[in-house]
Amino acid sequence: MKSVVLNICSASKIYDQTRIDDLEEKRLVPNMMLRRRLTRNAKVMLYLSDKCGFQNGKVVYGSCFGELEETVKIADSIAFKTTLSPTAFQNSVYNTASSYFSLINSDTDEILTISNGMKTSLDALKIAALQSLVHGEKVLCVAVECLNIKNIEQINKCANFLEAGAAVVVEIASDEKDAHEIKSVKFKGIIDSLQALLNVVDMYENGITKIRIEL
Amino acid sequence: MRAYINNYELQCNAGNVSELMDAIYKKKSALVESSDYIQGSTAGLGIMKYENIYEVLDKVVSKVLEASNLSTFENTLLILGSSVGGMQECETIFYRDKNYKNINPNKYSMNALSDYLAKKYKFYDTRAISTACTSSANALLLAKRLLDVEAYENILVVGADGICNSTVQGFHALGVLSSKKCKPFDINRDGMNVAEAVAAILLQNKKTENSIELKGIGASSDAYHMTNPNPEGIGAMESMNHALKDAKLEPCDIDYINAHGTATLANDRVEALAIENVFGARVIANSTKAITGHTLGAAGAVEAIISCEVIKHKKIPPQTNLDEQENQNITISHESKIQEVRNVLSNSFAFGGNNTSLILGAQK
Repeated sequence: MKSVVLNICSASKIYDQTRIDDLEEKRLVPNMMLRRRLTRNAKVMLYLSDKCGFQNGKVVYGSCFGELEETVKIADSIAFKTTLSPTAFQNSVYNTASSYFSLINSDTDEILTISNGMKTSLDALKIAALQSLVHGEKVLCVAVECLNIKNIEQINKCANFLEAGAAVVVEIASDEKDAHEIKSVKFKGIIDSLQALLNVVDMYENGITKIRIEL
Repeated sequence: MRAYINNYELQCNAGNVSELMDAIYKKKSALVESSDYIQGSTAGLGIMKYENIYEVLDKVVSKVLEASNLSTFENTLLILGSSVGGMQECETIFYRDKNYKNINPNKYSMNALSDYLAKKYKFYDTRAISTACTSSANALLLAKRLLDVEAYENILVVGADGICNSTVQGFHALGVLSSKKCKPFDINRDGMNVAEAVAAILLQNKKTENSIELKGIGASSDAYHMTNPNPEGIGAMESMNHALKDAKLEPCDIDYINAHGTATLANDRVEALAIENVFGARVIANSTKAITGHTLGAAGAVEAIISCEVIKHKKIPPQTNLDEQENQNITISHESKIQEVRNVLSNSFAFGGNNTSLILGAQK
């Protein structure tokens, strides 16, 4: 199995116990009609990609639970026999957030969406590393979970922060000098699917800009 | 390093690989008109018979392992492509209980399926991709790149989606679901048929006697609309051109196109235009979704297997359920055509303008 060394070019993270207050939607998406259609995952993703200074190129997006709020709207419509919103359905696929990113930034490049349980952000980072290795480009890797749906307490036993996300822009390093393994410090109260990427952001914020990762 | 497809199996509404190919060549659609999902209306659907999707996964994956040159999957990476993951089981519980108390969150998302397979077959590691209807095509894209850079020697790609109420009713709400059996590329088509399937493909870095090579992969984003494709077909053309470039082939090297061909008004018009612009009328194109329906996240893997079979049979399949072709500038065959099939291009397109094209070819 093959490992590569990545430069972390930029990084950002954000989380809140209930709902992240200011995601700067009006600045990031001036078109009101489009802005109103954005899902929470999409808003968090757009915020994080902006903080990383990334607008165009290959993107790897990860989310374990995807567009939970939209899925709940569909399930409620069917269970309680109300009209099913076509917008909720189109916004329910796991690649919704990354598709809005593509739409808003006119990014016609490859965009992949990863969802692999509690490994999601680590796997997203592995695939971002592969994309950077193959194409020799900077790649945005972002992972988001928005779990703040009505009655979430019926099912949520682990996360205290119901909205959270992390992002990095990576590129293949020219050498392995000073490369670090990804730390595994637990960000208490944040869902495990985001832990690996949060650790990488934290490492970057503490001056570590080179990591080793197995593909 | 090259990527060889050495073994595969699937299960869909038409049966296994051999039964599906028989249905395709005989133009025997396995779609049904069901009134089980939409109140007061029928929907054309591709339905399998099973207790739960896990038993189908098990059946298909175990057959691939038995037929392979591997004794276990312990040195194999699993890449799952799925659009609904474990939602089928969870939505059934929710519709019954009207609350989440009895839902296990670990059985809700994509990893419900990959975790099941990992536990049963002890894969070296797993990945799971969910890009709606391009999910398993993108799983194949990822597999080829990992083999190209020599990160792995054995990769099993599994495309799997079971029919859910939410997908059938969601497509109905979008107004793109046909109440009858779909008519890809027909001027009177009126929508798609939701379907289900499990397909497993073993890719390895060493070829065997019956290998088909995954020669090229291409992907793009429309950046146009969440559900409608770019009307000029730019994204579809880009993904096809990227695949040709990756395979180091020219349009004239392709002998058959297995189109995405969902039979929605927008997809088929735009995809036909994109095929016309890249290939003209020289290449035979058609959609096997008239037999299988649209198996969503499994479609890329299902249609990659069909493409492999077309190369092996040296027989281009006919288009089922086509009366009057809308775009007269592309070639769609009404009958099977026996000929050498060097390379096949298979398209998959998805919500969000996510486009993926694969080129599969006979080994030299």
